[in-house]
Amino acid sequence: MDIKLRELSDEELILEFQKNNTEDAFNILVQRYKNPLTNFVFRFLGDYTACADVVQETMIKVYRYKDAYNSVAKFSTWIYTIAGNLARTEYRRQRRQNIFSINDYGEEHQTFDLPDETYRPDVATDSGIKDEIIQKALLKVKETYREAVILRDIQGLSYEEISEILGVNEGTIKSRINRGRAQLQELLKGIYKE
Amino acid sequence: MENDEKKYEDVIKALKCLQDVKAPENFEADLQRRINSEKISKEEKKSFWENIFVPSRLIPSVGLVAVSVIIFFVVDTSSEEVDNPFLIEPRIREDVIAVADYRESEKKHEELSKEKSLKKEESAVEQKRDDIQLKTSDDKIIIDREKSGEVEGFTDEKDAVRNESIVAGANKVVDSLATINTESPQPTVPTEVGTEAVVGQTISKEELNFRQIQLTEEEQKTVNELKSQVQSLEKSNKGQK
Repeated sequence: MDIKLRELSDEELILEFQKNNTEDAFNILVQRYKNPLTNFVFRFLGDYTACADVVQETMIKVYRYKDAYNSVAKFSTWIYTIAGNLARTEYRRQRRQNIFSINDYGEEHQTFDLPDETYRPDVATDSGIKDEIIQKALLKVKETYREAVILRDIQGLSYEEISEILGVNEGTIKSRINRGRAQLQELLKGIYKE
Repeated sequence: MENDEKKYEDVIKALKCLQDVKAPENFEADLQRRINSEKISKEEKKSFWENIFVPSRLIPSVGLVAVSVIIFFVVDTSSEEVDNPFLIEPRIREDVIAVADYRESEKKHEELSKEKSLKKEESAVEQKRDDIQLKTSDDKIIIDREKSGEVEGFTDEKDAVRNESIVAGANKVVDSLATINTESPQPTVPTEVGTEAVVGQTISKEELNFRQIQLTEEEQKTVNELKSQVQSLEKSNKGQK
């Protein structure tokens, strides 16, 4: 692979791929974004197999619709938007597949604290178990809040970038992040006590 | 903003400490394989028009079309010319039987219709007569009873006047009945209504597409004999009635 290509920015690489159909430029972009996107989609879905499929689908969409990219926008926001849309679609499909849903009995977007037999705070010492607990708590947070919280606190994106990715103004993003954090804090009370 | 971040410090820390999830090792290979398979399927899935306009398929199909067009024209020129349906004269209707002397039959038809109308009038007059007889008999009975005093009332002058008018009316009805019986029944409905009066113009059948048969003398004789037989039968029927 050309060393010069590696020095190019994301936007320059996608332009190179658009104009000259340089597949190496695309491969570099895949290398750069495969892990961040996998992390984002996994934290949102909580299913590694589905997450890998979604990320691959995202890359295929970038490959197929490379001409749809507008050079004015940042490449990272464009690829995160594609991944976010696909992840949301997958999440809703998974939810539809579950015939029995506890949310059917409550108000819309209402969450429930279910007794989790697998989690015992007195035994939870390993960091892996802690991760699992946080991930489960994250999945209980409302979909729109969860997405914003992941992008901000796990992916470390700016409010501006998040608002571009989700297509919502910054004020709404901030309130969503705070609400998501509040829900998480409530769900993770036991961990902090330790 | 900072206050919010301080408020949820623990949550933010916990989230940042989460282990990064990495893509599977064979991610890129799988992706390449999927992209290649898509490319192949794209090549395989050609559009309908692309399939049609492939030269290897286009040449025989064009040849076939050309041959079929030539054959069509060759066959078409040898075939007979089709007549214009608007220029063809209409067929003669053989199912319609023409009568030799149309005027005679028309006269007979008129006579028959006259007889029928007379019979109808006679029956109507008879029915009227019966009705009137019934009415007058009822009225007479009532009047007789009133005169003999069987029926109560008529103390007032008004009632007496009404009674007298009823009696007078009844008498008039009886008189009229007598006149009906003596006079011969006259037709009230006009019986002779010609085609000219109804339609407003004469209908000539010369221009119509009837088949007119000219009878021979023998045929004419037989037809006349049959006519006379029919007339005699009608007369005898009248006499019986």
